[in-house]
Amino acid sequence: MSALLTVEGLSVGADSVELVHDLSFTIGPGERVGLIGESGSGKSLTALSLMGLLPEGVVASGTARLGGRDLVGVQEARVKRLRGSELSMVFQEPMTALNPLMRVGAQVAEVMTLHGRSRQDARQRAVELLARVRLPEPAEIARAYPHQLSGGQRQRVMLAIALANEPRLLICDEPTTALDVTVQKQMLELIAEVAPALLFITHDLAVVASVCERVLVMYGGRVVESGPVREVFTHPRHRYTEGLLAASRLTPRGTRLPTISGSVPAAGRFPSGCVFRNRCPHATPACETAPALTGDGHAFACWHPAG
Amino acid sequence: MTLYLVKRLGVLLASTAAAAVVVFAFMALLPGDPAEIALGVNATPEAVAELRSQFGTDRAPVVQFLDWAGGLAQGDFGTSYVTGAPIGPQIGDRLGVTAVLVLGGMVLALLIAVPLGTFAAVHHRNLLGAAISVASQLGIAIPAFLAGILLVFVFAVQAQALPSGGYVPIAENPAEWLRGLVLPWLSLGLVQGAVLTRYVRSAVLDVMREDYLRTARAKGRGATGALWRHGLRNASIPVVTVLGLQLATLLIGAVVVERVFVIPGLGDLLLNGVAQRDLLLVQGVVMVLVAAVLLINFVVDVAYRLLDPRLR
Repeated sequence: MSALLTVEGLSVGADSVELVHDLSFTIGPGERVGLIGESGSGKSLTALSLMGLLPEGVVASGTARLGGRDLVGVQEARVKRLRGSELSMVFQEPMTALNPLMRVGAQVAEVMTLHGRSRQDARQRAVELLARVRLPEPAEIARAYPHQLSGGQRQRVMLAIALANEPRLLICDEPTTALDVTVQKQMLELIAEVAPALLFITHDLAVVASVCERVLVMYGGRVVESGPVREVFTHPRHRYTEGLLAASRLTPRGTRLPTISGSVPAAGRFPSGCVFRNRCPHATPACETAPALTGDGHAFACWHPAG
Repeated sequence: MTLYLVKRLGVLLASTAAAAVVVFAFMALLPGDPAEIALGVNATPEAVAELRSQFGTDRAPVVQFLDWAGGLAQGDFGTSYVTGAPIGPQIGDRLGVTAVLVLGGMVLALLIAVPLGTFAAVHHRNLLGAAISVASQLGIAIPAFLAGILLVFVFAVQAQALPSGGYVPIAENPAEWLRGLVLPWLSLGLVQGAVLTRYVRSAVLDVMREDYLRTARAKGRGATGALWRHGLRNASIPVVTVLGLQLATLLIGAVVVERVFVIPGLGDLLLNGVAQRDLLLVQGVVMVLVAAVLLINFVVDVAYRLLDPRLR
């Protein structure tokens, strides 16, 4: 099976600080991959570097190819054409992601006219798309302004925009974090249903378990473990994954909540060698050398794996 | 929207009426009797009394006010105590001149501020962007009349390229009319443009950080295209507020600039009225200036609603 997205040696840095280090992974056609980790582990930067939307002063290197086309290190004019057509992205904050002065329908239609569809055609298809993301009365929603919609509705609009040109890859960066729990589930089901291939960023393990087939665990700007969701979640090998799973498990009343000791260091303050060793209960002097991500299917980068 | 317009129009009328009361009361409280001023120190009490009844200033203040305000509503500003000429037509003539001066200055300020401010925001990390900020800071520190004097020195005295003052009506000679207005427009527009540049810059900077600009880029727009299509209208909302305040400032600034360039506008009329103790004339001009400021505020408020659907 040839991969849809191939990322090799992707690094992201600002000034002299490396924020994402030598990341490699693939996503197959139609595959749904989760990217998990605490805030500050480099998940969003990874996504933004694929979109070519890194903030000013932040630079990506390495290669990322989507269906044979380079995404990293190419001219803005060339990636621009891919954004919104070949790959698209839904962001975390639906309340501010839409232009408050523009009708919703026009904002959905815009992504289609930008990629060559006629204005009238795009307007009509915008309403169809709003229906496809299960917004009630799509024609009315199309005429509404963003402030007239709820957070969940706005995120559906964002999804409609992302899907408008039938992209080959959809990237979702914490798309449900800002939503009410009741709305979250509907949104996740919808994403799982409509996404072509998916890169789903979240810190919520339960969400990954329900939406994705494969998972990448990120810490300190590196992938520390990857593999099929079921396998990684039932038999975590990396001590960081183990800690994350323990922290998210329901614990009996009266027992102490399990946590990972310490906190995510600031960018550039991660230890040398294994990036997790200053928080890891199993760390030994061996961890001063960086472990490689090894293993077929289920891979991990740890000198003292669990299980 | 229609309901809002009706309400806002009501507020405009009420505040204009209130302003008329205040303007009238202030003028009435000032010492000095128009009849005594007109007749001089040697006038007999009988003559003064007769002139008073002729002017109508012997009546109760309330009656005088109602008479004046009723006239205003019909565009009649009364007759000057000093010259005996009707005030309305004088104000009408001068208002046009001042309006051309102020609006021209404002347009110039916008023409300077919008491109420069946007450029400074987009290039806020570069030297050139910083240089624009510094230059606009300098512009803010210079009052319009000083700018006017400097401009006269450079362009009229040194270069002899433009007239240092005077006003030619457009009907008489359009080319001379324009030449005469260039320096006054510049002295109003440069200073206001400098102030406005900073507001435009910060408004555009704010908008550039908005999530919806990132959304626009994720759709496939370039940075410039996203800012153009989604940023400028959003950035214009805070700028419109400042624009309204600035128009009011410009109106007052025009009074001074008219003096510098010998332009027969409202400001010139006002200062002449003060010098000649022409109380009713001063009262009328002040009323027109106040009403203009209220009208500007009205337009700004309506413009908000048109720009921002969240307010509708």
